Amino acid sequence: MIETQKLSKYYGNLAALVDLDLKIDQGDIFGFIGPNGAGKTTTMRILATLLEPTRGRAFIDGLDVTRTGKEVRRRVGYMPDFMGVYDDLKVFEYLEFFAAAFNIERKKRKAIVEGVLELTDLQSKRAAAVDSLSRGMQQRLGLARVLIHDPKVLILDEPASGLDPRARIEIRELLRELKRMGKTIMISSHILSELEEICDHVGIIEHGKLVFSGTMEEIRRQMGIQSKMRVRVAGDRDRAFEVLSSLPQIKEVRPEDGYLAVTYAEGYEIDGTIARTLVQAGLDVIALEPEQLKLDNAFLQLTKGIVH
Amino acid sequence: MAESLFQLVGRLSRPSVWVGPIFDKELRVSSRRKRNYFLRFGYLLCLTAFIVLVWLSSVNLQIRGPVAYQQAKMAEAGKIIIVTIVIFQFLATQFITIIMLSTSISDEIYHRTLGVLMTTPINSFQIVMGKLFSKLLQLLLLLAISLPLLAIVRVLGGVPWDYILSGLCITLTSLIFAGSMSLFFSIGGRRSYAVILTTILALSVAYAFIPGLTVWLLYYTRLQNYLIPLLAVFNPFIVMAMESQTVLQSWGGGVLPSFFWMAHCGVMLFLSSLILAWSVRIVRQAALSQAVGENPGPWKPIFHRKPSEKKPKRKTPVNVEPINDAIRDVVGSPVVWKELRAPLIQGGRHHSLIGLVLAVSALVFTYWMGWKDDLLREDNTHMSYVTIFMFMGMVCNLVLSATMLTSEKELRSWPLLLSTTLEDREILLGKAAGVFRRCLPVWLFLAVHVLLFILAGYIHPVAIVHLVLIVSWIILFLTGSGLYFSALFQRTTTAVVANMALAIVLWLVVPVVLGFLIEMADNPRPFLFYMRLHPLVQTSITMRGNGGDLNAEAPLDQLRYIWPDRKLSRIGNTNLTLLSSVVVYGGAGVFFGWRARKRLRKNIF
Repeated sequence: MIETQKLSKYYGNLAALVDLDLKIDQGDIFGFIGPNGAGKTTTMRILATLLEPTRGRAFIDGLDVTRTGKEVRRRVGYMPDFMGVYDDLKVFEYLEFFAAAFNIERKKRKAIVEGVLELTDLQSKRAAAVDSLSRGMQQRLGLARVLIHDPKVLILDEPASGLDPRARIEIRELLRELKRMGKTIMISSHILSELEEICDHVGIIEHGKLVFSGTMEEIRRQMGIQSKMRVRVAGDRDRAFEVLSSLPQIKEVRPEDGYLAVTYAEGYEIDGTIARTLVQAGLDVIALEPEQLKLDNAFLQLTKGIVH
Repeated sequence: MAESLFQLVGRLSRPSVWVGPIFDKELRVSSRRKRNYFLRFGYLLCLTAFIVLVWLSSVNLQIRGPVAYQQAKMAEAGKIIIVTIVIFQFLATQFITIIMLSTSISDEIYHRTLGVLMTTPINSFQIVMGKLFSKLLQLLLLLAISLPLLAIVRVLGGVPWDYILSGLCITLTSLIFAGSMSLFFSIGGRRSYAVILTTILALSVAYAFIPGLTVWLLYYTRLQNYLIPLLAVFNPFIVMAMESQTVLQSWGGGVLPSFFWMAHCGVMLFLSSLILAWSVRIVRQAALSQAVGENPGPWKPIFHRKPSEKKPKRKTPVNVEPINDAIRDVVGSPVVWKELRAPLIQGGRHHSLIGLVLAVSALVFTYWMGWKDDLLREDNTHMSYVTIFMFMGMVCNLVLSATMLTSEKELRSWPLLLSTTLEDREILLGKAAGVFRRCLPVWLFLAVHVLLFILAGYIHPVAIVHLVLIVSWIILFLTGSGLYFSALFQRTTTAVVANMALAIVLWLVVPVVLGFLIEMADNPRPFLFYMRLHPLVQTSITMRGNGGDLNAEAPLDQLRYIWPDRKLSRIGNTNLTLLSSVVVYGGAGVFFGWRARKRLRKNIF
């Protein structure tokens, strides 16, 4: 659904984007992460036809974004990182204005606006002035706006930034609902743990270059986090250390914050051997946790975290 | 006791107590801004060009005759040049002061730093003084730049030092006053172009409208003998004019006593201090409201009322849905619809209504005064009215057209609009319609005046055709150029200043330069032809030809229009001139619109 080929953007001598190759399938939620100034927003602006690439090509639904701008805009709903609102419009008028801007027939507009208001739970605010809405409500309104012309692709630039935890959860739920509706969503965020829960694929970008792209499973595999476990026992921890070190399935054991961090040998599939061996050795196992993949960790490992 | 008094005096004698670290910060920032260097360069360039023109037009380089005669002529030229420099400085520095101080406080409010400043030991007095004096220092530098020029001209002789001194003092105090006014309005106005226009309007009222009204009202009374000194003490333009006249007159006698300018300077400083004191008070209010999370908003701090003075709001039941009829359907082009829906004046219907009532009342009052003195039969009366309306319409058009796209950029709603399927042409036409709609009230004043006096038999009906042609090309040209600059720049103020600069260059600077060149040229016709395309020249000439009871009754072939070259006096030629303006300026407006369309999707962020 979204594809870029060697996409590059230069501002004078500054390379904002260098040979970016991306592919996002239909119905996927793609998390785009990277430090500030990495090139996320530039990529999204190019895909939204608001910026021309210096070189390379980008396609949405098979259409070239630089050559068929209007057709691409018909298929894309773009929500920028900072959403501007008109001072003197009400919520309903604001959405109807954009419905008209997308050439939706006048007789259909009202029903469509009502529909997106319901989807984004903004019915109670329909007559409120747009600039009087809270940040969370404005973000919802932004989502309502990008849905107004029923686009196949949603490009959302940090939709959860500046929101309180409740509003973030609500936005996340809304995105899940949109995924169920079959939308392809490209989302960038600094709230990395949130992307972890909703994204099928992630792309990590730094200095305008894609340093990783793949599924969550692929990240796990690449980072080796899949082969780690944390063990906590009551009583003799040294004994537990000895028992675990003697197992052939285990490559390394080291103490870590009251736990024992265990790294499996390559090719080992978790089968309960560790727990059984510890119990047979007379040790009381309190906790046995496979190390969770955190996008934050992956992000820190994959990038140098240099802020522009 | 004596020691503490000594310490207090010592502390107060330190400049930092008066201006605080704001002064340092402003100087540091301004030294990094390229525009300040361009400003100095531009100022010097204009001054030099102006002097060269004055020199060429006032000094005959072929002076022949006895040495004494030549010296007398050179001294005469020296006087003219000195007066030119002093008047140039007087006008230019006031204008620059207004621009420089127009963002002084509003920038702090816009960037949300004013509330932060108030959490430091810096007080509002230091903020105001720091801002004012840092800009004044730069303006003093501009004044100092021209001192070598003054010194050179002094060699020619005939230049009295006391005039240079009085000129500099009048300039300095008037720019302090203008600067204080601009700073004061910048507390309430977010957009600097609005602050600039408001300040110019306020100064026009103070320097022109009030004196004009006073003269008019007191002309037939015994007080008229005291009028000039009375008005001059509050008016730097009158004092400067009188001082300059004194120098230029060979017999040396002035209208005002020689020490009068000192009294005037004292009054101006006193008035400035009053405005600054008020500014200090409301800066604090603006900062405090920002600190508690409120947006001070336009003019809110200036017209701040204590909570107890506010009328109690009508109670609204909780959880009641707002009335739905307030929501209006989008009809036709969404961009046009949105522009039509926007309020004419920020602040709501009440402000619009009050403004309209005041304007109409003032107009009716002037009509009544004109009728009383039997002036409405005169062609000059209608020429003045229509020229003023035309000027107002031009200003309105050039300002609003330049704000159309940049305001979207500043609101950050521009990318949203461009990510829709709207055509670029559709967006531009919608914005152009918005400009026309917002300027409509001003054009309506013109239309109502003309129609009213056509019916009354004081204006010839053909004036409608002439004015429609003139207004059409003005709208086309200024809207096109405004939209182009609005597409080109990110900031509203930059776009407005660029569009203003274009109009000023075309219709003020070029005519002034041509005026000097005409003096020297053997064949002035090309220069005079340019003047035929000037909007205000066209307005005044057509209204002079069509206005007045005699012209109103004349058949078409007897109407006479006195153009600058005195050749095209019949209606046919006049129509041709107006049509050629439509082609030239209208074409230029369309060209600007085309360029705006090309620029529309560039420089979006």
